Amino acid sequence: MEERQYDLIFICRPDTPEADVDKVIATVEHTATDKGAKIEKTEKWGRKRMAYRVQRLREGFYVYMVLKSTHGEVVKELERRLKVADPVMKYLTVRVDEELKRQEKLKRHREKRAARRPRKTVPSAVPSAAPAAPAAPAPAAAAS
Amino acid sequence: MADEQAPRPAAPPAAPTGSTGYQGGSSGGHSGPPSGGGHTGPPRFGGPGGPRPGGPGARPGGPAKRGKRNFVRKKKVCRFCVDKSDYIDYKRAEILAPFLQERGKILPRRMTGTCARHQRWLTVAIKRAQNIALLPFAAEL
Repeated sequence: MEERQYDLIFICRPDTPEADVDKVIATVEHTATDKGAKIEKTEKWGRKRMAYRVQRLREGFYVYMVLKSTHGEVVKELERRLKVADPVMKYLTVRVDEELKRQEKLKRHREKRAARRPRKTVPSAVPSAAPAAPAAPAPAAAAS
Repeated sequence: MADEQAPRPAAPPAAPTGSTGYQGGSSGGHSGPPSGGGHTGPPRFGGPGGPRPGGPGARPGGPAKRGKRNFVRKKKVCRFCVDKSDYIDYKRAEILAPFLQERGKILPRRMTGTCARHQRWLTVAIKRAQNIALLPFAAEL
């Protein structure tokens, strides 16, 4: 099976010490690699204000990770772990590879089209001449 | 069949109610739209291109003939097409936020001018962002 890419975001309680957040990240990485997934990226977005209250809190410590895997069981296991983890309030896993593929395709398409017709300046000259030409023969035809 | 059909005409109230119900339905279905559509211009022959208040705005000749609603609508352009974006990132709440109403509803295409394709992507992106508390589901009071 082809490789799938997932975005994993989780929010820790804002009062958790940084060390605990790192611990959660470590366990996630560990489980992921255990199950045969690769961690592509780990970003700590830090404390952010949430759009609504979660567990009566307005702020949360966001962590964003990108992982690649060939099978989906990793996600199941990771979500189970995150659910159990104490500091984690909320998490979200999104499969993104299909959208990225689509993006690539559209980008390639766009570039191809741009390469095929680099004549942005040429047509502007042509239409100015074109209307003049049909206008001239018309009176001649009417006169004859 | 015959046994079942026989009692129906025999019972007088049953048949009239059925027929009136049908007539009511037909009047509601057929004469309703013309009466609703004809209120702007009386001598029209029920043409399909009737008055559409919020219809396609940028038609040059049409509205002028009918009088009244004669104003130029500014053409709205899809913001994502202008930026040539092939992917709407749900993680960037700041670019999604302008497409929400104050109470957290997603703005319709007719308000923002977003094209169909990008609106489709936008909706998905907004919903994802809502799930991870980057955008509100509904405004808090």
